[in-house]
Amino acid sequence: MISMRQLIPALLVLATPAVAQDFSEGSHAKSWNLYAEQPALFQAQVVDVLCELTGDCPENCGGGDRQLGLVRAADDVLVLPNKNSQAAFNGAVAELLPFCGAEVEVDGLLIDDPDLGAVNIYQVQLIRKVGDAEWTKADSWTKVWAEKNPEAAGKGPWYRRDPRVKAAIAKDGYFGLGLETDKDIKELLFE
Amino acid sequence: MLRAISLAGGLIALAGAGMAAEGTRIQVTGEIIDTWCYFSGVMGGPDAVVGSAHHTCALWCSAGGIPVGLLAEDGTVYMVLKIEGSADSAGGDTQLKLASHRIEADGMLYERDGLNYLVVENVVTDDGITVQNHEDYGPVPPFAVPEGER
Repeated sequence: MISMRQLIPALLVLATPAVAQDFSEGSHAKSWNLYAEQPALFQAQVVDVLCELTGDCPENCGGGDRQLGLVRAADDVLVLPNKNSQAAFNGAVAELLPFCGAEVEVDGLLIDDPDLGAVNIYQVQLIRKVGDAEWTKADSWTKVWAEKNPEAAGKGPWYRRDPRVKAAIAKDGYFGLGLETDKDIKELLFE
Repeated sequence: MLRAISLAGGLIALAGAGMAAEGTRIQVTGEIIDTWCYFSGVMGGPDAVVGSAHHTCALWCSAGGIPVGLLAEDGTVYMVLKIEGSADSAGGDTQLKLASHRIEADGMLYERDGLNYLVVENVVTDDGITVQNHEDYGPVPPFAVPEGER
């Protein structure tokens, strides 16, 4: 049985030439000066990607452990948000999880670089439920990390203090090739 | 007539949208990468954001919950959703341990809207880090190795 949610985008897709749509109208996304960025404001449903694709669907979209996606209302395309708005090496799951299953409006940057395979990749900067007036900034990841890692409290960015990252570097070095090799590489590069 | 066939085909195709799809079993070999740095170019070109040069950043991004991908030898990127039973694709331990490693994966491929999604059922081989590009690029980003560690 085809639902209206599926039928309306289907008809839109069939009526539209096979070119990338422009979702920049009304966007207030900040540029990151990326080669293939495009501002994009759109409505979507927040989904658990693994659930969407395979039918493996735990409660609450996996509780923050799984990648979350955005099924765009305009064309039913599954957009993958790789990044939140923080310049701190963190993804978008913590930002989207409070909206699991909800219809939302997001503002951010689409990355469209087919030569690299980057299609429907997204950096989410702002999010709100459809109908809400207030936007939520997509910058909560570091706060969530701090709550999960109280033993790592201290100065400096999270990635210098993260216990798992520190353990990996302590074991295999910054270049991942073992501590002896790491020492040799650093001598080569920095001395 | 053609229009009717197209419409019917489109509706059949879209009847499946939002529902679980059949995957295709594949075996693919490549590097576990950080897909944000690779796709966005934020740290440099694609050759600079793989391998030993980018390893520390790959750890940061994997621990930070950025989706990891498998960059196959033909340049195709597969977004990894699960590895050997672990569906913790947003910062999980399994993917962190494989950061920058070249692996051979056996699993199920799901294609949707231009992206390839991979459920790795078995890591057949783990060759460790094979792309040694640190002499070409140094650490990427340069501050990956802190001043006090140089």
